[in-house]
Amino acid sequence: MSTHHQKLERHSLGFAMTILVVASIGGLVEIAPLFTIENTVEKVEGMRPYTPLELAGRDIYVREGCYACHSQMIRTLRSDVERYGHYSLAAESMYDHPFQWGSKRTGPDLARIGGKYSDAWHVAHLEAPRELVEGSIMPGYAFLSEARLATGHLPASLKALSRAGVPYTKAQIENAEKDAARQADFEQNYEGELQDSYGDNVQVRDFDGAPGRLTEMDALVAYLQMLGTLADLETLNPQESSR
Amino acid sequence: MALKEKDPVSGTNLTGHEWDGITELDTPVPWAARWALWGSIAIAAGYWVFYPSFPTVTDYAKGILGYSSRLEVVSSLKEAEAERRQTFAPFQSGDIASLAKDPSLEARYGAAISKLYEDNCAACHTAELTGQEGFPNLTDNHWLWSGTPEEIEYTIRYGINATHDETRMAQMLAFGADEMLEKPQVTEVVEFVLALSGQDHDALAVEAGEVVFEENCAACHGDDGRGGYENGAPDLGDDQWIYGGTRNDIYHSVYYGRQGVMSAWEGRLDDPQIRMLTLYLLWSAEDAPS
Ligand code: HEC
Ligand code: HEC
Ligand code: HEC
Repeated sequence: MSTHHQKLERHSLGFAMTILVVASIGGLVEIAPLFTIENTVEKVEGMRPYTPLELAGRDIYVREGCYACHSQMIRTLRSDVERYGHYSLAAESMYDHPFQWGSKRTGPDLARIGGKYSDAWHVAHLEAPRELVEGSIMPGYAFLSEARLATGHLPASLKALSRAGVPYTKAQIENAEKDAARQADFEQNYEGELQDSYGDNVQVRDFDGAPGRLTEMDALVAYLQMLGTLADLETLNPQESSR
Repeated sequence: MALKEKDPVSGTNLTGHEWDGITELDTPVPWAARWALWGSIAIAAGYWVFYPSFPTVTDYAKGILGYSSRLEVVSSLKEAEAERRQTFAPFQSGDIASLAKDPSLEARYGAAISKLYEDNCAACHTAELTGQEGFPNLTDNHWLWSGTPEEIEYTIRYGINATHDETRMAQMLAFGADEMLEKPQVTEVVEFVLALSGQDHDALAVEAGEVVFEENCAACHGDDGRGGYENGAPDLGDDQWIYGGTRNDIYHSVYYGRQGVMSAWEGRLDDPQIRMLTLYLLWSAEDAPS
């Protein structure tokens, strides 16, 4: 048994080549699927890039580590679907860099939280979870209602994402700062513009219930209320998108 | 050194390496570990053949079993649905009004429906249905939208101020912020509401407040302030408040307005579930002390 090994180990060039072959099998298995990602992501109507306000909310979600306790991945299991709704699609995280599937559910899955509760409930719950849900172990995030939302970096964020393949237009990148403020505008004056730019499923209103102030709470609640509402699941053909 | 030389003490093969007279045993990996390794490689190969595995140029390798986790969950949900149809047979069809007249349902299904309620409604209305600030009590005798089974069912299905096209609209206007009333008028009408609900109030302001009320509020809250059943305007004369009954709370309601939002449950809950919850609320309302 030791003869082959000995031959291999004593020929430096042959040994190096063998290492290369074995390691590239691992690489192939990991990298090759990325070239055919188009086949993996099913086509579904309604998916669009996040608006600047939703994106800012998503950044806060990541910053605060909500993903440590909440998943955004409804698995194809009866128990998951019964509790949280339609199983998650690959398409639903195609504009996520990185995705927020998470790996632990200390709290419930949030993939379809959009529309389940009112804005007022989210604000009250994020500020003081135990006031609304007896025995909740979720930490409070009251400071989000006080913190003004920084929007200066949003054009750069959109630009970076567009380099990673998210189809933001030039106008969307230029207007990112303005669009963020407009989506949370109390008077909803710019609903038409935002929907023309991003799509009919953009929700425009004052999310945090504090008119005239653009806060981090606005952004986070806008993000939560959008989650799981974009993909038009009724147009999805289960046979065609079976996996 | 010759190959296959054995160590005289242990009888194990030597590797043939030697450093300054020190040699190395060529102890094989334990057989169990070897079997586990080759076994798992064989199982992986099996999966590759039988189950969906690797992407191909235009599609993916589907595996000879044609398994799809998505189709599987769809069919297991159908099974679950069929089971539920059996278990909750009375709620599958039929109109809600006649179901409400059947007294035997509560004893048989009450406990099961309470779970459905807790999963979906308790976050706002609390597990005891008594509500909390901003979310109304569902057990009191006064319904914002009337307490007939059909109306309650409608509220649950389409929500209040929700995004659904059929949703109910409950708009308490921002009389102060939108400058429909002067600040002193707001103060006066607040005193009137305090008097109406039997609380301490400034008797001097009440008379002026009553005039303001008749002109601005009675259209929705009713001439006597006891609420209307068509517009979701609450009874202002009882001790039940959605947003609180202190002078400050009432002032805030009148000055800034209130638009409570209750999500539309159509889509999240199916028809039988909405029927069950409607009955659950009716049973609880009757049981509760008013
Ligand atoms: C320590 C773990 C933990 C962290 C961190 C956490 N949560 Fe939670 N969350 C929970 C638990 C537990 C619940 C269930 C109890 C409750 O509703 O409060 C919950 C519930 C929720 C719900 C209601 C879900 C439903 O369907 O009822 C939302 C929305 C939510 N969390 C959002 C967030 C956001 C946004 C963040 C980050 C700012 C966050 N959570 C951070 C543990 C956590
Ligand atoms: C996001 C919080 C929220 C959730 C969750 C919620 N509700 Fe409500 N509900 C409200 C609010 C707020 C109102 C009052 C709306 C208003 O102010 O006009 C309301 C009102 C109602 C009413 C009308 C009461 C009346 O007096 O006419 C009914 C009935 C009702 N809810 C039932 C339910 C049921 C059943 C569920 C669970 C499927 C549920 N609600 C879940 C917030 C909620
Ligand atoms: C267009 C109809 C309408 C008019 C006019 C109106 N209200 Fe209301 N009012 C409502 C509705 C609907 C609600 C419930 C809002 C909610 O639940 O979100 C409400 C809620 C309230 C509340 C809060 C009750 C609680 O339980 O917390 C107060 C107080 C109140 N109104 C006082 C007034 C006064 C005083 C006026 C006149 C200045 C007035 N309303 C005029 C529709 C109206």
